[in-house]
Amino acid sequence: MQEQLKTIVSECIKEAEKCTKEAEILEIKAKYLGKKSELFSLLASLKDMSVEDKKKYGSLLNKIKQELEQKINDCLEKINSKSKISFDPTLPIYEEYGSLHPITIVAKETTDILKRMGFTIVSGPEMEKEYYNFEALNIPSTHPARDMQDTYWLDNGLLLRTHTSPNQVRAMEKYGAPIKICAPGRCFRNEDLDASHENTFFQLEGMVIDENISISNLIYVMKGLLKEVFKQDVDVRLRPGFFPFVEPGFELDCSCLICHGKGCPTCKNSGWLELCPCGMIHPNVLEMSNIDTKKYTGFAFGLGLTRLAMMKYKIDDIRILNSGDLRFLKEFTGQED
Amino acid sequence: MLISCNKLKSHIKDSHDIDWLKIWDTFTIRTAEVEGVTVKGQDLKDVVVAEIIECEPHPTKEKYHILKVSDGKEIYDILCGAPNVRVGLKAPLVKVGGMVSGFTITEKKIAGVVSQGMLCAGDELGINDDHDGILEFPSDTVVGTDIKDILPVEDIIVEIDNKSLTNRPDLWGHYGIAREIAAITEHELLPLELAEVTNDKEDLKIEIKDKDLCYRYCGITIDNITNNKTPLEMQIFLHYTGVRSISLIVDLTNYLLLELGQPMHSFDKEYVKEIVVEKANDKDIFVTLDGETRNLTSEMLMIKNGKEYSAVAGVMGGLDSEITDKTNSVFLESATFNAASIRKTATALGLRTEASARYEKSLDPNYADIAIKRYIKLLKDNDEGIEVSSNLTDVYPTVLEEGHITLSKELLTKYLGFNLEEERVVKILTSLDFKVTVTDDAYEVVVPTYRATKDVTLPADIIEEIARIYGYENFAIEPLKLDLTFEEHENIFTKEYNVKKYLSTKYYLSEVHSYMWYETSLLKTLELEKDNVKLVGKNENNILRDNLSLSLLHIVKENLKHESNAFVYEIGTVIVNNENERHLGIVLADNENNLENTYYKAKEIIVNLFKEFKNSSCEFIKNENAELSELAYDINVNNEVIGTLSILSSKATSKIGKKKAIVLVEINFDKYCEMEKNTLIYKPLSKYPFTTLDYTIIMSKDNNYETIKEVVESFENEYIIDYKLVGKFELENETKYTIRFTVGSYEKTLATEDLQQFKDSFISLIKEKGLNIIE
Repeated sequence: MQEQLKTIVSECIKEAEKCTKEAEILEIKAKYLGKKSELFSLLASLKDMSVEDKKKYGSLLNKIKQELEQKINDCLEKINSKSKISFDPTLPIYEEYGSLHPITIVAKETTDILKRMGFTIVSGPEMEKEYYNFEALNIPSTHPARDMQDTYWLDNGLLLRTHTSPNQVRAMEKYGAPIKICAPGRCFRNEDLDASHENTFFQLEGMVIDENISISNLIYVMKGLLKEVFKQDVDVRLRPGFFPFVEPGFELDCSCLICHGKGCPTCKNSGWLELCPCGMIHPNVLEMSNIDTKKYTGFAFGLGLTRLAMMKYKIDDIRILNSGDLRFLKEFTGQED
Repeated sequence: MLISCNKLKSHIKDSHDIDWLKIWDTFTIRTAEVEGVTVKGQDLKDVVVAEIIECEPHPTKEKYHILKVSDGKEIYDILCGAPNVRVGLKAPLVKVGGMVSGFTITEKKIAGVVSQGMLCAGDELGINDDHDGILEFPSDTVVGTDIKDILPVEDIIVEIDNKSLTNRPDLWGHYGIAREIAAITEHELLPLELAEVTNDKEDLKIEIKDKDLCYRYCGITIDNITNNKTPLEMQIFLHYTGVRSISLIVDLTNYLLLELGQPMHSFDKEYVKEIVVEKANDKDIFVTLDGETRNLTSEMLMIKNGKEYSAVAGVMGGLDSEITDKTNSVFLESATFNAASIRKTATALGLRTEASARYEKSLDPNYADIAIKRYIKLLKDNDEGIEVSSNLTDVYPTVLEEGHITLSKELLTKYLGFNLEEERVVKILTSLDFKVTVTDDAYEVVVPTYRATKDVTLPADIIEEIARIYGYENFAIEPLKLDLTFEEHENIFTKEYNVKKYLSTKYYLSEVHSYMWYETSLLKTLELEKDNVKLVGKNENNILRDNLSLSLLHIVKENLKHESNAFVYEIGTVIVNNENERHLGIVLADNENNLENTYYKAKEIIVNLFKEFKNSSCEFIKNENAELSELAYDINVNNEVIGTLSILSSKATSKIGKKKAIVLVEINFDKYCEMEKNTLIYKPLSKYPFTTLDYTIIMSKDNNYETIKEVVESFENEYIIDYKLVGKFELENETKYTIRFTVGSYEKTLATEDLQQFKDSFISLIKEKGLNIIE
């Protein structure tokens, strides 16, 4: 019997070690430890043995059983832990990317900031009525901006909006006061193209009307907006600026991001960059849209989104933005938040 | 506009207290943008008044003289080529080591003569543009004096952005700027010295026919003018501020334009008999001072001498009445015209002058007579013998009065965001020449006429005056107050952004921006006629786009010049039936042999735009009439056409790129945004297992999947959960399609008989429809 056991053990080990797959091991396990195995029948025969033999073979058989189980488990583990990598892991990935337009990225960033201050994003038509683009904004019929040289007039009597400010009027008509809106959008001016002039560009309009809205509020919002946009403390200054739809009107300058205020060609050596006309909404504008000027005041601003994108990404030729040149646009892969 | 600080200083008391280099940063944030500050006279050094004591022609070099020149201490040998050299002449001498125009003068041997310095012409000194001869000083000038001690060559010249002065007619002259500086720095503005005009002579004949366009016309005549030489001081001022010196009579009008902002015109008195201000006749012509012939219209206001035109009012005088060297008596005009009319005329003539630029800002008529009195004073200073030969004739139908504005204290605080003490408010307004009376709850403000023409008419205008002089940098910064009321919500922008992000990151498309109009060259290339809203006054690129993907072909064409493929999209406005519509346009262009993949990529994008954003499905309905298409489908959602999917015709494709395949998608994004999302209602999972059944159907190649789809859709069996195409295999003449049904029930586990019944009825349906199925 001991001879028989020795053979079983040596053969089982020999066969188990040859296995390369889990299924083979399980087969070996069944063969040597299963219900049809020699070892199983030997264990079964124990119950018919004398007490003496039971003692003698019982412990021996169990020891061998444990030994084989251990061996088979070891082999199984060895197989399972064997690496399945049979390929070159160092190849580059298949690279194909799309991209968002830089203006879209900047528009999203700025509107997200304004949303955090409770602004609603609204939109309006690009083909616009003269009333919304000029008249309701207190721009008199003799104002140079209404000339054909500056405005794209259409043969149906409408025009392509020259700024995003018509959104102010439309929002006042639609929602009344109080109100906090912003409106990113495309605008058009009849201009010849060069590195710094485009006939199609983007602005971000903003407007707040409420009781007791002050110049101090305007300064807070503008400073905060720019600080968040540039992710750094920028110096901001307000200086008087004239726009028919605001009074007082301001030009908002920020310290030049290229030279940090020291003076360089970009800022024409002034250290400041003109960024955003703004001001307290002109009483005539409020009144024309039926806002009670005794109760409400408000401010509005028109941030140049195209200018902002150019500053942010140091784009030196405005024309490339509308060129559709994919070599340029693909650079903006992964730039959005 | 160029501003001379020397001139400003002459109008402000104790002006030496002001830092004239630094004040301009403050001016920018208080008043108007300063574009540049230039220090003049720094490139001049050691230039003194010298007298020529000997003057001999050069023996060989024609036109040159060998001079002996004295600076009062030493005698210098100088070689000089100027024609006006003569003994006794006093002229500027740059000694060796001295500097003109930034160049240091050295001792030089020229034509055999050692020259120990240089005598200078006006342009070499940078004080005028005269190069006809060396500059001549009056005979009583002290020899040896540094010219910086007798001439204002040292100055600070400031350039102010004209655009930032559009609403400030009062700042178009030095006196106005000086007033502003005085207010900012709390200095006193000095009054102007004016001549007394006694008006004891005859009135001139002046008539204003168009009183709406000419508010005031002042005229006077001056005789016995003998000096026509503009003093050097004034020449330097004019030169530094960008005006060419001509003669005293003309220079003085320019000087007053620069000082007061009031344009004046001097006519030769011999020419002017009777002034009539009225509009021109259509199609008349007139020759202006610059020699150009101008075509007039009935909208242009003219100054007429009797029946003859003598000037385009407020723009430019005529050639006939021009001041000449022989002029010794003048008719002086100082008038005020309607701003819009002047601007229109100047624009129509393409002739913007210093005068028209000022008139179109709405000038104060009350300055017209002051300018004349100032002119006479300055002329007399230089030419004592002049005689005023007429009354100061003043036609001023409606006198412009000061403005009266009540500013409530409450409104001021509301606008500022803080309370500004009364004393400060009054001080600021007074410094700007406003008169203020304080009542319990308001400031009663009287606005000087030069601010009342259009700039200051409302309480908000007064607030601006207070706020800017107080200084925006001194304002408190106040956050908006917390208000948690729900805001209105429009989410078009967000929807657009989400779709853009999806297209760019999931399908690798690039967002482009293009123009609102079709490129004319593209339409020509595609031989496409488009009729839509047009830009007025343009012949090229003037038809607004009505199809976004089509207009994007221009961009695709450009890109295909350097890329093998182009996958682009834009969400933008198109004009359809005279209305704005937002569209999503997608163009996928790839190599010809990739047509199938490209087409299916486009189709996948469309299906998923509806599935992933709207939980909706769309149908593709063949459109046989689409232009420029090889194959086109309408995209239908809820039985409404919302867009198109098309393969560009081979002919059109070949013109966009060689051996390419181009697929276009156009979706009405307004409709897409309006579509309600199919809101999910949770459906519990079945307690009983589902199973799948695959069937392979064989069809000849002239058929397509649509046929199978129709049959499958018509198959009715209560156990179908869904089905899909899982395999497609091309044989030589046939195609094998494998359809996988998921079948099951929410009430029971399907029995073998149920599945057998399903199988039998499906196979018989397929056969009934004449298709082959592998059993």
